[in-house]
Amino acid sequence: MTTDVSLYTVDSVIILDNTGNRVLVKYSNPPHAPEDSDSLAQRPKQQVQFEKSLFQKTHKVNGDIVLFENKTVVYKEFSDVVIYIVGGLNENECFLFNVLQGLVGALEIVLKYSIDKKTIQENYDMVSLAVDETIDDGIVLETDPSVIAARVSKAPTEENSIKIDLSEEGLFNAFKFARSRVADRLQQGF
Amino acid sequence: MSTLSYKKFEDSDSGVLPDKMTVFQDCLQAFNASPVQAKRCRMLLARLLRLLYSGDSFPSTESTTLFFSISKLFQHKDVSLRQMVYLTIKELSKTSEDVLMVTSSIMKDAQNGDITYKPNAIRTLARVLDASTVNATERLFKNSVVDKNQSISSAALISSYHMLPVAKDVVKRWTNETQGTISASKVFLTSPVANHEQYGSQNLSSFIYQYHALGLLYHLRNHDKMALMKMIQSLSSNNVLKHPAALVQLTHYIAKVLETDSSLAGNFESYFEIALQNRSDMVALEAVKTIVTIPALSGLIVKAIYVLDTFLSAPRTVVRFAAVRLLNKISLTNPENIVVCNGSLEGLINDSNRAISTYAITTLLKTGNNDNVDRLIKTIAGFMDDISDEFKIVVIDSIRSLSLKFPEKHKSMLSFLNDRLREEGGFNLKNSIIEAIFDVIKFVPESRESCLEKLCEFIEDCEFTELAVRILHLLGNEGPKTSKPTLYIRHIYNRVVLENSIVRSSAVIALSKFALIGDASINKSISILLTRCLNDVDDEVRDRAALALKLLSTEKFDEARAFIDPGFSYSLPILEQKLAQYVNGDEESFNVPFDGSNIPKISEDEARAYEYKEKLNSIEESIQKESKQPKEEVSEFAKHNLLQQQYAQELSSIPELAAYGDLLRSSHVVDLTEKETEFVVTCVKHIFAGHIVLQFNVENTLTDLQLDNVTMVSEPDFEEFVEDFVAPIESLKPQTTGSTYVSFTRSETLEGCLFTNNLTYIAKEVDPATGEAAEGDEGFEDEYRVESVDIVPGDFIVPSFAGNFTSVWDSLPNPCSSVFNLSDAKGIADVVAKLIKDSSMSPCDSSELVGSHASHTLKLFGKSINNENIAAVIRFVYKESVGVMVKVEAKSVNAELGTFFANEIIV
Repeated sequence: MTTDVSLYTVDSVIILDNTGNRVLVKYSNPPHAPEDSDSLAQRPKQQVQFEKSLFQKTHKVNGDIVLFENKTVVYKEFSDVVIYIVGGLNENECFLFNVLQGLVGALEIVLKYSIDKKTIQENYDMVSLAVDETIDDGIVLETDPSVIAARVSKAPTEENSIKIDLSEEGLFNAFKFARSRVADRLQQGF
Repeated sequence: MSTLSYKKFEDSDSGVLPDKMTVFQDCLQAFNASPVQAKRCRMLLARLLRLLYSGDSFPSTESTTLFFSISKLFQHKDVSLRQMVYLTIKELSKTSEDVLMVTSSIMKDAQNGDITYKPNAIRTLARVLDASTVNATERLFKNSVVDKNQSISSAALISSYHMLPVAKDVVKRWTNETQGTISASKVFLTSPVANHEQYGSQNLSSFIYQYHALGLLYHLRNHDKMALMKMIQSLSSNNVLKHPAALVQLTHYIAKVLETDSSLAGNFESYFEIALQNRSDMVALEAVKTIVTIPALSGLIVKAIYVLDTFLSAPRTVVRFAAVRLLNKISLTNPENIVVCNGSLEGLINDSNRAISTYAITTLLKTGNNDNVDRLIKTIAGFMDDISDEFKIVVIDSIRSLSLKFPEKHKSMLSFLNDRLREEGGFNLKNSIIEAIFDVIKFVPESRESCLEKLCEFIEDCEFTELAVRILHLLGNEGPKTSKPTLYIRHIYNRVVLENSIVRSSAVIALSKFALIGDASINKSISILLTRCLNDVDDEVRDRAALALKLLSTEKFDEARAFIDPGFSYSLPILEQKLAQYVNGDEESFNVPFDGSNIPKISEDEARAYEYKEKLNSIEESIQKESKQPKEEVSEFAKHNLLQQQYAQELSSIPELAAYGDLLRSSHVVDLTEKETEFVVTCVKHIFAGHIVLQFNVENTLTDLQLDNVTMVSEPDFEEFVEDFVAPIESLKPQTTGSTYVSFTRSETLEGCLFTNNLTYIAKEVDPATGEAAEGDEGFEDEYRVESVDIVPGDFIVPSFAGNFTSVWDSLPNPCSSVFNLSDAKGIADVVAKLIKDSSMSPCDSSELVGSHASHTLKLFGKSINNENIAAVIRFVYKESVGVMVKVEAKSVNAELGTFFANEIIV
């Protein structure tokens, strides 16, 4: 057995709904690593196949962990979604599970303890940020749920985009904007 | 529905994936609008991500357009929009071109951005930089790595890690900063926009940056063994590392060091002792994993197993799973070490996780040894009532392999199987029990009578026709060999009276086999019984009875015997292939009857040797199968057969070989060159009755050279071998493979020989445009030296099965022994594996499993090509100072072969 010294621990994060369809699927694809044509990340068709059979094997089985197609898979089932973290066969099972717990915990905080398909889809921005703050292309970024959640920004609340800035700089900016517009029009010859 | 979704207004269709083109258009429109509406844009980015995360992707041009329009969003100051922008850029950077154009915007944010998105900017940077542009970011990275905010530091470290494959030299410049980060204390700062209602303290560091810094530092120091060693040693002795993941990583590194140099194990023992006590289960687990895989740490194994034992009763499924998986692994090699865990393992048999209970059962059974097998089986019998049929099958399968391992314990196992047979159960369960009993009969000959007796009782009351038929068949085969065959005749005839027609007809066949004993009184009573069957209502039964009676009354008794009990079986894969060919042929081929004579026949012993090997392996595979893709299952035996068949076909195409007779044996493929040389040459040795043919497979890996008239000049160092002929390869085009043959007449005796080989050929340049050699090119003669080929004892031997090795060993004459010392061998297990392969004999009494590091005994049995038995007992002793010492003792009917084996098996 050769010991693995890489930081690339997680192969993929998969969130499926209760019929095995994708909700959020992210295969790790490190930016500068040499391409490995065998890895699932490069083969979209096999990915779907993999997810389907994984779902069949784990659906309604609250096992937390399963060895599947030469991968260690830890997972957690919710009312109508399942969250999977997939790692190599020799990864530390407890570490992978900690990562899963970190992500699940963060989602609970961000989604106010209602992890279900509809809430995920409607807060997709925060969910994808949470996944991104947990795992960065295979490297585990953080496992503490509250830290992950605290890195996820909420959507901007106000939509009144026209704010009138009455400070000196604001007036100057307005003047600059007007001047450039006028200059444009002049150049186009009206 | 949650309160969060309640507030939304435009997500009535949220269940359906948004349309790709609509999202594309909406994005372009919204991102180019002025002024930018932050909320709407963030929502659109989320939709875009949803498409990407559902497996959709945009073609390169559209992706680039999107990328370009997203870069416009940098104008907007909203921090939560900016964070989303970075995530999208990260995802799109894989499919877009010109990603470099956003570098300056990202650099600005990575230096002076708001803490909400600064780490995101740094992480995105790794995606847009390449080897040439990374230079300019040195200062930025250095500052970020030492930043007090852990998110920024981690982001910089991870980005650097991603850059390693292309810019290791540049990343090396911040080695010192990385080193400092490991021991630095950092804080976690939250930004106001990410303020979710939650419990727990804020602004406390999670220390995860230690993990990232350590991971990066290892790769930066990788070239300098001393520095690396120093780092690992100091980190393992002081208490700097706080994060469990960092400790797990450090344990990996220590394992790596110990793999190459086991003498350093002493330095780390105290580290492992502390790690085993770590609060975090992942650290303790990793420590245990390392201790059980690195032989040098075997002093700690008792403590490690104690930790595993406590893990077995942990509340977290994952911990239990990891522990039982590891125990299962240990049980394959050192089952005696984990007997202490048996109590806890028994508790796991009803675990809610199926994988855990399967592992627990198989591990338990692996720990069985001669002394505790009986007790173990009793324990298992105790909980058999509580588990489902499916699980019982797993247990039965394990028992089955156990009975092959400990033939002398077959009694208790048989009674266990028999009890199960009497209990209620579905077809699959009963079938697996029957299979198990069949195996016991096959491989533990002394159990035959008691097994058959049990089976007879079973068919008295068997509801499954299929099982009854199989048992009757077996009774027919095995019954005549027992001391009281008449007993079985009664049982079989009972079936004829009581059962349905399918069972009746197989009972008739079984009855007829008893006639082979040749006892007149038995023959007479069988004839009477069969005559009664002639009045059966079913025509199949009548036919079979008539046929059997005819054979019984025939004068040529031997012919009848060959018909009823052939003693060999056809190689089924090849038979199938031939039949398919015949059936698919044109009409003319039907004029000639199917010719079955050239299908290889397998004698029973040979078939058993392979079967035994597969059965023993099967239990290990059954666990792994769960995790593996269902592969095309071709048994090793079938593969071996097909290969032989293929060789035979290839050889038969050479006219000179027609007179040599049947191919007796082909060796496995021997490499004569390295895999990456200009010409890759491998050799297969074919043994015929009076000849030996060396087949050289030559692969021309060059792209611009064609080889003509390729021959191998093989010179034996032993003059008894006379070269007959050489079959050259006429022309070997670039990047093709061909075979050349050299044939020798060999002496009748089985002796070794060394052939030195020289590849000779005429080399011609090839025009790359046409792929043909130039017309008038004469070429030049050249030669290429490859390694020599050795004729070894294994080339004359085929594996065979011995049910009782000791008695076979005692019965063989001509003992011969020799001693070897392998100073460079790594361990006994390696040598054993190599010997089994080289000798091509079959290991007996499960002696192929090496239990201890210090000494081992390997028992091998095989048959020579002339069908003479050969057995060998090989003893190993391992000492670190001298390597592996081997004593080979061989006995064979053929004295020459025995001597040859003992002297030459280790080269």
